[in-house]
Amino acid sequence: MLFKRVISSVVVLFLLISFLFFLLRLSPGDPSLKFISPELSPQLAAKVRESFNLNSPLLNQYKTFLINLMSGDFGISYTYRIPVFSVIMDFLPFTLIFSTLSFIIQITAGFFLSLISVKKIGGKLDKSFSRLSLIAYALPSFFLGVILILIFSSLLNIFPSSGISSFDTDSYNFLQRLADYSTHLVLPLITLSLSGIAVYYKYLRENLEDVYNKPFVLNLRANGCTEKEITRRHVIPNAINPLISVAGVELGLLFSGALITEVIFGLPGMGRLTVNAILTRDYPLVVGCTFISGALVIITNLIADVIKVKLDKRLLKGMLN
Amino acid sequence: MKLKQCGLIILFSLIVLIPSCNRKNNGHPNAIIIGISSDIDSYNPLFSYTVDEGNVSELLYLGLIDFNWDENSGEEIPRPMLAKDWQWNKDSTSITLDLRNDVYWSDGVQFTAADVVFSYDLYSDPAIQSSRYGFFKSFIADSAFRIDLNKTFIVENPFKIIINFKKGTLPNYLDFAIPLVPEHVFKNIDRKNLITVEKQMKPVTDGPFYLSKWDKNQAIILKANEKSFLHKPNGISELIFKIVPDYTSRLTQLKNGEIDLMEDIKAEDLNQLTDLSNIKLTKISGREYDYTAWSNIDPDAYQKNKKIIPNKLFGDKNVRQALTYAINRQEILHDFLKDHGELAAGPVAPIFKNNLDTLLKPLPYDPDKARKILAGEGWKDVNHTGVLEKNGQRFSFTLEIPSGNPRRVFAASVIKNDLKQIGIEVKIESLEPQVFFQKVFSHQFNSWMAGWSVAIPLDLRSFWYSDLQNTPMNFSCYQNKNADRLINEVDHEKDKLKKHQLFKDLQDTIYNDNPVTFLYWINNNIAYSSRIQDINITALGAVYHCWNWSVKNN
Repeated sequence: MLFKRVISSVVVLFLLISFLFFLLRLSPGDPSLKFISPELSPQLAAKVRESFNLNSPLLNQYKTFLINLMSGDFGISYTYRIPVFSVIMDFLPFTLIFSTLSFIIQITAGFFLSLISVKKIGGKLDKSFSRLSLIAYALPSFFLGVILILIFSSLLNIFPSSGISSFDTDSYNFLQRLADYSTHLVLPLITLSLSGIAVYYKYLRENLEDVYNKPFVLNLRANGCTEKEITRRHVIPNAINPLISVAGVELGLLFSGALITEVIFGLPGMGRLTVNAILTRDYPLVVGCTFISGALVIITNLIADVIKVKLDKRLLKGMLN
Repeated sequence: MKLKQCGLIILFSLIVLIPSCNRKNNGHPNAIIIGISSDIDSYNPLFSYTVDEGNVSELLYLGLIDFNWDENSGEEIPRPMLAKDWQWNKDSTSITLDLRNDVYWSDGVQFTAADVVFSYDLYSDPAIQSSRYGFFKSFIADSAFRIDLNKTFIVENPFKIIINFKKGTLPNYLDFAIPLVPEHVFKNIDRKNLITVEKQMKPVTDGPFYLSKWDKNQAIILKANEKSFLHKPNGISELIFKIVPDYTSRLTQLKNGEIDLMEDIKAEDLNQLTDLSNIKLTKISGREYDYTAWSNIDPDAYQKNKKIIPNKLFGDKNVRQALTYAINRQEILHDFLKDHGELAAGPVAPIFKNNLDTLLKPLPYDPDKARKILAGEGWKDVNHTGVLEKNGQRFSFTLEIPSGNPRRVFAASVIKNDLKQIGIEVKIESLEPQVFFQKVFSHQFNSWMAGWSVAIPLDLRSFWYSDLQNTPMNFSCYQNKNADRLINEVDHEKDKLKKHQLFKDLQDTIYNDNPVTFLYWINNNIAYSSRIQDINITALGAVYHCWNWSVKNN
């Protein structure tokens, strides 16, 4: 079953990047436009176009693309003039770490806030959290980012307003470097995570309330189980499954990059890389970024499904049947 | 358990908060931090295609000569750099350059004439696709624009070189200002792969700064090269280009003191900076202008079979002039740019004082005159629809603008309303910049709005010469044989005074033909920290000659 899943994922990815290959080349726009300006000679743009192989027929270009793809080569980026994967490897590690941290914060905070909420459903805390989660979800991230910079950077001078590190981290030891990175990531993490916390809080709170109202919980209480035991061993495992599916998709999307947060805070992430590649018509880089994003979405979904099955064996039975 | 959790939270907070208490440039008291909106792709001058890339590469690599800007004449004045002296021969077909013998590359190898020859070979080699490829029109070159080294360069000794030029051409001092690269570093590299391979190499430079660190999409850190003859003992020790993509973040960091210099500040933000005691303001004017283009030829006929026939709406110069009279450019300048700029009369900015025809004034806003001119050309509201007509053709067109530029959106609305007043129907279409410029370059539009940055030295051939195949930036497809003749004469005129007059005659011709409506010259508003001393920003650029700056810390 897993093997079938992997094969279908590979086919989907291949179709995706092939479709993108043709779509990019048939859409208006020209990668050699960057080389036309008053300061550059007109002959340069023509030479550059030739070197990008853009003058040859589309099918020939696709053939070359497929042959290179067999060896895992996505070509040379038009902008950076180095292999596409080398460019992506300059940006992907940060995105993976940043997105993972944000994901952990979203899940953890959402989880604990929902647990606190369901302890007294309809109580003051529950109502406050529900209202706040709505505001947090509705607040645009660009607005939140700018407000955080204004308060914590500009007025209070606590956190840096952009970048991932100070200029002279080379002279820092490991702990100093860790501290420096942490300081720089506080505001971006809050900006990226707040709406996600609201989403997970809402999801889990609804599911927990649902499960708490089920007859088997009443049965467990009647049999003398403590609330702690009921919550930990029975309610949470039953309530968490739908959340894992959502989490799998959300994590995959996080890995594609968080463009707005990256722009506001000047972070070197996949979001900015992909959008800049699209705007400059850097075809090989767009295809490479899309491939990576697609692969990460597929992998995270697969992991989410495996975790769900581990938590609930009935799902595995259902799948096998 | 709760105690453990509290302890973890406190420890985490300390790790996060303590290092943040010492920010800004306290760790770099003698550094200047410049905020830029995007990273560069290369610091190598061979592959520096953009302004930011040029700014960085020219601080790392030197050219034979350099320039000072003369405000009085509006011209660049050459001054020695790697060439300490030079002599032209009688007919200016050859120049002898005496090179400095005290310049060393950062790996200890001495700079010599061999680096000069090698650099020009690289720049002109089609395989390299350098930023100067195709530029050396005065040099003896083959049909692929590659310089013939044997005929061009004579190396008398390691510090004396003669350069011969093509007869009948007028060599340009700009050809000697190109940053030179070290021969011993690049000579054994396959040229087809140079652009890729050089990115993995440690830079070997000879400029007033060397590349200390390049954190991609974060910062480019240059440190002062104390061995350079340009080094000032009490000058800045570090120059940091900090990449901050968001304009608002950049402005906030400028006010905070996290960055020391920022360009392209919006007009509406200048007032808040004026009140700050730690910020000083200046501007570079006359390097950028906006225009509304009227395609002088029929784009459909040109697309179909490259036929050049006058545009049905804009082919007549009187009609184009009427459109200029009808547009209230002062309103846009005042309301959007807050008067940080000036109206444009032609393609030569007021800063080019020697070449500017001061008799030419921007046409005033005069809708009545516009109506009279159009009526004289046969455009009348025959059917009383509010839209002018001529021979069954309605005066209706689409004005194309690139998306994401609020200034152009504002200006387009003003233009639409102004032209409506005189009976012209305008639809505005906003296109993604890539799509927009592709269509502009291929002459697909009737009318559009865009802007140009102006090169130094003044170059009018690239924009106004009639040959559309070899002048790809003549977007409005301006056709005038007299203008072509004047452009050719300018290129070959050695006498400075005669050259100035030719520029003025050319401006006069363009002014009368009105191929586009020149809207306004836009100021590049620059703000910098009062820490920066000895700063002198000229038309050549904000960071030009920044090795002369120093820092005064409070």
